[in-house]
Amino acid sequence: MNAGNALFIVGALLCLVGALSTVIARSPIRAAMGLLITIIGIASLFLKLSAQFLAAIQIIVYAGAVVVLFVFVIMLIGADTSAGPPKSGGSVGSRIVAGGGMAVLSGLGLLLLARFDGQPVRFGPAAVGHGDVEAVGGLLFREAIIPFELATALLIVAVIGAIAVARSKARPRPAPPESHESKRLFHGPLHPRDAQRPLSKEPAE
Amino acid sequence: MLETYLPMLFIFVIALTIGAVMFFGGQLIGPKNPTPEKMMPFECGNDSQGTAGVRLNVKFYLTAILFVVFDIEVVFIYPWAALFKSLGWTGFATMLAFIAALLIALAYCWKKGALEWES
Amino acid sequence: MDAWLSNPFVHGLVYGVVVVTALMTVTAWSIWFERKFAGRMQSRTGPTLVGPYGLLQPLADALKLLQKEDIVPKDADRVLFNVAPPLTVLFALGAAAVVPWGPEQIAADLDVGVLFILAMGGMVVFPVWIAGWASNNKYALLGGMRSVAQGISYEIPLVMAALVPVVLCGSMSVSDIVRFQLEHGWLIYSAPVVGFLAFLLFFLASLAEANRIPFDIPEAESELVAGVTTEYTGMKFGLFYLAEYLHTLVISAVASALFLGGWGGIGGLAPGLHWMVLKTLLLFGAIFWIRWTLLRFRADQLMTLCWKYLVPGGLALVMAAAAWVHWGAFAGTTATPAPAPAEQGAR
Repeated sequence: MNAGNALFIVGALLCLVGALSTVIARSPIRAAMGLLITIIGIASLFLKLSAQFLAAIQIIVYAGAVVVLFVFVIMLIGADTSAGPPKSGGSVGSRIVAGGGMAVLSGLGLLLLARFDGQPVRFGPAAVGHGDVEAVGGLLFREAIIPFELATALLIVAVIGAIAVARSKARPRPAPPESHESKRLFHGPLHPRDAQRPLSKEPAE
Repeated sequence: MLETYLPMLFIFVIALTIGAVMFFGGQLIGPKNPTPEKMMPFECGNDSQGTAGVRLNVKFYLTAILFVVFDIEVVFIYPWAALFKSLGWTGFATMLAFIAALLIALAYCWKKGALEWES
Repeated sequence: MDAWLSNPFVHGLVYGVVVVTALMTVTAWSIWFERKFAGRMQSRTGPTLVGPYGLLQPLADALKLLQKEDIVPKDADRVLFNVAPPLTVLFALGAAAVVPWGPEQIAADLDVGVLFILAMGGMVVFPVWIAGWASNNKYALLGGMRSVAQGISYEIPLVMAALVPVVLCGSMSVSDIVRFQLEHGWLIYSAPVVGFLAFLLFFLASLAEANRIPFDIPEAESELVAGVTTEYTGMKFGLFYLAEYLHTLVISAVASALFLGGWGGIGGLAPGLHWMVLKTLLLFGAIFWIRWTLLRFRADQLMTLCWKYLVPGGLALVMAAAAWVHWGAFAGTTATPAPAPAEQGAR
């Protein structure tokens, strides 16, 4: 086993473990962390292909930015370590349908790869320097200048959309009635852990 | 070719090993004496109020999406920066237009108050 | 013996052990140095009791931390809670793999070294956030959220500041950038104003990413108990502490490679490695100096400073650097390609 194969196996294992834990994990945060592992695995697969630039981009954009966004969205909805497993929605029948559909799709994918004649598709070796800075940059800035400039439009639309979602002028909700809890917090004694033994200097009430 | 990654890999492995050794060393040597009070979330001596699962302010989400947009943009600039000396005048103009467009996006956020943390 | 050493596996292992050991040693004694330094700044003496001048204080600290009880709070996510501290050390050390300590002392001379450093820096927010979330503590969670918000916000000016050397030198490999500086002068002065401002921006944003004062919002002890480390005891807390200092040390090394000429010295007075170490330690010391001089920012001031001033400023700097390359002194220059790695030996 040479270094390339070892790197491939490590990357593939990371991808599989991450993907499985994304699907299986009960807690949404753990699922997001599984996604993070998958992305790191994909980055090491890029490294195996000597596409260092793509590997770095994969980590910076997907791990560093997109997973952070996922995590923040999960936190926006509210996730808690102490919350139990979510109630399973849907019946057994829907699960069977979903699982069966997934199995059929994976089978179709395998069939396409095998091309019906039993011979697996063999991908040619990657061209020298594919996925490095010169290749990507040359493509972007020599041949695809117009799509590149149009990408700014997409980014601006994303910003406008996010602001529209986050800063929508919703009517302010009526303030919740003052509860017993808040009164206790702000006016009463704070119930320190050893409230049975008050400090001697405290005036007795 | 892949051998160039080996020292990098070893640095990762050694860093993780050091972390693990210190971690398990602490667990082995340290005493074990859990009490219900000790296991409670620490809130300066008060009993813990409610859970930690609070819903967070939308400003965090806004920061994250702004970060995603600007991160992608800066990542676009990197190959340009590495190739800039061979791209010449057109490269400069391309990037000027790109950055101007993003400054407009930033100005829009500023005007809309999306950059204000306290509001 | 020589053939045995040039085996890439052995070479990599030796190199990794040497780099990590050196960094850990410097980090441990930097904690002693910082306490001494802070003491002197505040008319105290700092540690004096353990060993001569208190020099054995880091060892005493480590032993003390080892003996403390390991507490995992009730309802915490045990797996993530325990995974976070070793991961912080990993990501803090990771970027050291592409730092060139001398002409031949580079663990991995990646073509995209600058991006790799930024990627590792970007990953540091995860273990910190995981620690905050898994603790099941409001203050830890709030510290973690603030930490991520701060980390990602300041990553943008950081990435922009690191773009300036890439534009000026036309390469993303850290060793190419250093080699360019050996020919054309350190970037901090050879590209006047632009280089200096980019260095300042990089340094500031790195401080924020390493959560050093004045940017240590994640563990603002005046408002968040101890931030993400609230529930951590003993050696797990020690790992966070260690990671923070390691990260600071690594960013000092990166800043001196990108802007201060790396291993380039004055008139060949000493080998390159010595210069690199000297520059790194000077920057490292400057960070301590800043820490004990300035106060902490407020969370909102921090975000305003980043998004309203540093981000537009960073974009302007990138274009200024491009203009400097186009019309200024660096027109038509490129970094000399790295000499072919003829032999690999741990010298």
